Amino acid sequence: MPEVLARSTRQGLATGATVDALHEDFETLWRKADFVPDMDRMAFSTAVIEAASNVVQHAVPASDTPLQLGVEITIWSRRLEARISEIGAAPSSPGLSNPSEIDDESESGRGLNLIHALVSTVTFERHGEDNVWVLCRDSSEA
Amino acid sequence: MQFTVETTPAYAEVNGSGRLNMVAAPLLREVVAAVVAEGNHHVVVNMEGTEFMDSSGLGALIGCLKIARQAGGDLRIANVQPQVKMVLELTSMHRVLNPYESVDAAFPHA
Repeated sequence: MPEVLARSTRQGLATGATVDALHEDFETLWRKADFVPDMDRMAFSTAVIEAASNVVQHAVPASDTPLQLGVEITIWSRRLEARISEIGAAPSSPGLSNPSEIDDESESGRGLNLIHALVSTVTFERHGEDNVWVLCRDSSEA
Repeated sequence: MQFTVETTPAYAEVNGSGRLNMVAAPLLREVVAAVVAEGNHHVVVNMEGTEFMDSSGLGALIGCLKIARQAGGDLRIANVQPQVKMVLELTSMHRVLNPYESVDAAFPHA
């Protein structure tokens, strides 16, 4: 099993403030994992923040309890992984937008397609009371 | 994210410093809508200090472009950083929001 070289975790209310804090987490993480090439950092962090923003904007709480956003990022030598949890969310299954349905004047609908373009694999799973996105980017040089 | 506006006879320059994400996107819309409402129909968004943009930020730029065009003008972007360039290209929106190398180059004959 490859060694984990850096890890970051955050959990908070599913709000823009938690997404903003995630940006700060990445800055700290990349200082610890300075071997990760710039292109991999840029693509992976964009995908993770895009997914976290999707949780804030679209996830629906399963009860009166406010929705929480959880993000766990793990860096291996050749793999970057993020688990983004919609904690306490109703079951859902976000689907890709059909590119033909997004014209040049559309102001939304590009997020999921962008995530898929930025990472190697995207999975969306139901775990207990949570929906969990798992984003992985393979990095040949990391 | 912080926005500042400078107006010239030819265009209004909106400077955005920080992260153009879901938090800042509505602010950009407000700033550009106010600039256009004041009669500045040609707008350049100077993205030299915009270190990050997600699809919410991109959506805001598209909304701002529509506001300017509906007023008979246009909106252009300049000085984009590598992450913003990546998002524009992966979404193919660089065809619509073509990045200019400088603010002056955005409206050379305005």
